[in-house]
Amino acid sequence: MLDRVVTQSGLLELIEELGHTHQLIGPVARPVPECDPPVRHFYQRVKHAGQLDLSFSYCTYSPKEFLFPPSETLFNFEKVDGRFTATPVLDEQRRALVGVHPCDVHAIELLDHVFAKDHADEHYAARRSHTFIIAIDCPTPCTSGVFCADMKTNTATQGYDVMLYPLATGDGANGNGQTRYGAVFGTEAGREWLYYNRRFTSPSAEDERSFKAYPQTKAAAFTRELNTTVDKLPALLDRSYDSLLWEATARRCYSCGSCNLVCPTCYCFDMHDHNELSETCGQRRREWDGCQLPEFAVVAGDHNFRPKAAQRLRHRTYRKAKWVKEQSGLAGCVGCARCDRACTAKISSVEVYNQLAEEA
Amino acid sequence: MKPKVAIFSLTSCEGCSLAILELEDRLLDILGAVEIVNFREGMTPRSWDIDLGFVDGAVSTPEDEKELLTIREHCKVLVAIGACACLGGINTLKNPQGKDSYAPYVYGDQAKWFPTTDAKPISAVVDVDYQLPGCPMVKEEFLRFVQCILAGRTFRLPETAVCVECKKNGNLCLYEKGVVCLGPITRAGCEAICPTYGSKCEACRGIVSEDALKAANINLQEQYDVSLEDVLADLRLFGAHQDTTLP
Amino acid sequence: MSTASPPAADAKATSSIYLPEPCIVRSVQKQTDHESLYELSLESGEELGHQPGQFVQVSIMGVGECPISICSSPTREGSFGLCVRRVGEVTNYIHQLVEGDVIGVRGPLGCGFPLDELHGKDMIVVAGGLGLAPARSLIQYIVDQRSRFGSFHLFYGAREPSELLFRHDLTRWRDNPDVDFHMTVDQADEQWRGKTGVVTTLFKGLPKLSPKNTAVVIIGPPVMFKFVVIEFLARGITQDSILCSLERRMKCGVGKCGHCQANNIYVCREGPVFRYGRLKAIREALA
Repeated sequence: MLDRVVTQSGLLELIEELGHTHQLIGPVARPVPECDPPVRHFYQRVKHAGQLDLSFSYCTYSPKEFLFPPSETLFNFEKVDGRFTATPVLDEQRRALVGVHPCDVHAIELLDHVFAKDHADEHYAARRSHTFIIAIDCPTPCTSGVFCADMKTNTATQGYDVMLYPLATGDGANGNGQTRYGAVFGTEAGREWLYYNRRFTSPSAEDERSFKAYPQTKAAAFTRELNTTVDKLPALLDRSYDSLLWEATARRCYSCGSCNLVCPTCYCFDMHDHNELSETCGQRRREWDGCQLPEFAVVAGDHNFRPKAAQRLRHRTYRKAKWVKEQSGLAGCVGCARCDRACTAKISSVEVYNQLAEEA
Repeated sequence: MKPKVAIFSLTSCEGCSLAILELEDRLLDILGAVEIVNFREGMTPRSWDIDLGFVDGAVSTPEDEKELLTIREHCKVLVAIGACACLGGINTLKNPQGKDSYAPYVYGDQAKWFPTTDAKPISAVVDVDYQLPGCPMVKEEFLRFVQCILAGRTFRLPETAVCVECKKNGNLCLYEKGVVCLGPITRAGCEAICPTYGSKCEACRGIVSEDALKAANINLQEQYDVSLEDVLADLRLFGAHQDTTLP
Repeated sequence: MSTASPPAADAKATSSIYLPEPCIVRSVQKQTDHESLYELSLESGEELGHQPGQFVQVSIMGVGECPISICSSPTREGSFGLCVRRVGEVTNYIHQLVEGDVIGVRGPLGCGFPLDELHGKDMIVVAGGLGLAPARSLIQYIVDQRSRFGSFHLFYGAREPSELLFRHDLTRWRDNPDVDFHMTVDQADEQWRGKTGVVTTLFKGLPKLSPKNTAVVIIGPPVMFKFVVIEFLARGITQDSILCSLERRMKCGVGKCGHCQANNIYVCREGPVFRYGRLKAIREALA
């Protein structure tokens, strides 16, 4: 059932208003004449809703960086007379993350889980609890090569404050030539937003009809890329630990870590101290790290627990398709294919899964 | 006692020495902690009792070689700064042409008055304790190095590829534009400045690992329709890889 | 309608799980050329509140953190011990510490030995090299709570006499009638009058074990672990009664940063103490 509906222009006005209390972050088009199509989208901070392109295909990077930045200060420290004081840094800026696709909603759910469980990470929690997520569903695959439907992450029923479903662009009673969004809330904050703004209206009978037909049309639009099913991947991997495929694929791997860095579900990090020139104060920072980087598993004394690219590649694949799911019940890979696009060696996750399936 | 610091230039544009002066206000903080005893870009030479010596420039003449041996003898710790000192740099472009060809080309019939050798990194002549690569060297890295040395901490170069910093900067990968960038095989530490401003990486900080270079050889032949010659030319530009083949 | 709950919205906005607590160095005792023992106490005056087998992250501001096993038992109140080998940047700094210095400590972290399960059991502790440090937290506990355990056999192997740790303790354990203590070195020197050979050679004198009521704790290099496990499996000890402590590159210490993973296991959170029954399925664990 739809909660409310809104036109595209109405939505942009509402987002503009949200910008009075929140930093606005959403998809922005950057011209790239060398590319086909000659534009790429990026989540970035905007001053006005009008700068957003809500009909974007996909964003090159996931919105992860706004919840878990590539580099952040955990605390400032000061050293006086052989003693130290340390003050944590928590980012409580209100943000509205606009235009999050279902794959990234799933990825954020995983980050929520990881950073909250056992020892709650206050740095992530501070950002997350101040972030309002406006998701937009994808009626069709955002681009070729994605395998979110295979990963069962091309739809989301939670993990957002509000989910918008693009309903129709026709010239019928609903359309006026612009996209009309059906809205569903996922949190109390989302409910308030939908019901305390008059630009959101009650869905018409036609809205309800088109929303009812939506899942079927959507399902038909998503083709399968995987020659097996996501549920079979863990068992498949159980039999593939010693497969030669890891070596075969790894001979191309640069170990550059690009796949980790663009992955919306990768959350590994390293911590470093940064000293001011005075040497009396500084920061402890955390930075994104990646299991494909050669030194990731080095311990004191320089022993490397995963010295070979093949071992690292296997580790990543197991995490994405088996271990994360088994441990959290959540998707370790959301099928966004950002890793495939980022890999300059053209190593493809979905191809690896398919080769494993073929082998087994 | 403040450590005595000296900065020397061999065959180069001395841009790396200049980069030190460009640190401006932060340079003053360092100057408070050290005593500069020898710096051609900034002063006349004063002393040869040196704790920490920086050298920019490649060894490209017999004179360079002699000077470098003297420098090494007088520096407790010797640091190569910039692509020329670390890799040979842009000077190495002359090497494949052969001495009989480039000397007359540059100096004409006066060539015999200008003795010159193949260009090489300073590590080919003397033991080098640390390298701060890049064309020019990265000022921030220089600062971090000096800070580490003064505080007694270990200094290490990043062991990751430029891609890491490029991705953290949120850049669109140049490969998506059809550009063969050397980022995946080049040592990070430059904050991916070239790709961030739209130029491909040309490996001025050197190759990150032999494994990455091997992967490049496979990928360029199997995955890309590019001329290996062009890529090798890029790799030669700053002396990152002088061989005529990839491993 | 499901609700997406932002995690830990109630988290105290002023704290951080990554924030170290000031900790005072009470004493420093050189153990070998590479290892020193530090007695520390929290500046707050509170006890660390650890379990044998847990670890802490030691912080030197401006340098970084390093995971160190706690080598004393919580039954010894007032301070806790860390035996630190000089192997890297942070441990180099630790080795410059003197009495009265202040460092940062996060912890206790990880899961220690399942004491409730061990109470009442016959205990066998096998330690190799620096593995004696984490083992000592349990050894002290057993010695202090001796009536809560059955028989106690303790085996310690070091590479050579100069590498023996906790020499005072070694004497005390040897002289304690309630501890069946044996030690050996791989390579003797001229002064050495004790046993020579790998640690498994010490097991010859072991009485017949009662497998149902015996727990074996093994801490040492992976290569030692393998041979010791074989010895005890052969004596009928069950896989889940063999406990071992793993060493990995723990960074965050709270199961997030990914560095200490052995396959699907976050050693820092689920370990460092594991049962052999669990470990044997983890291919990277004993590599």
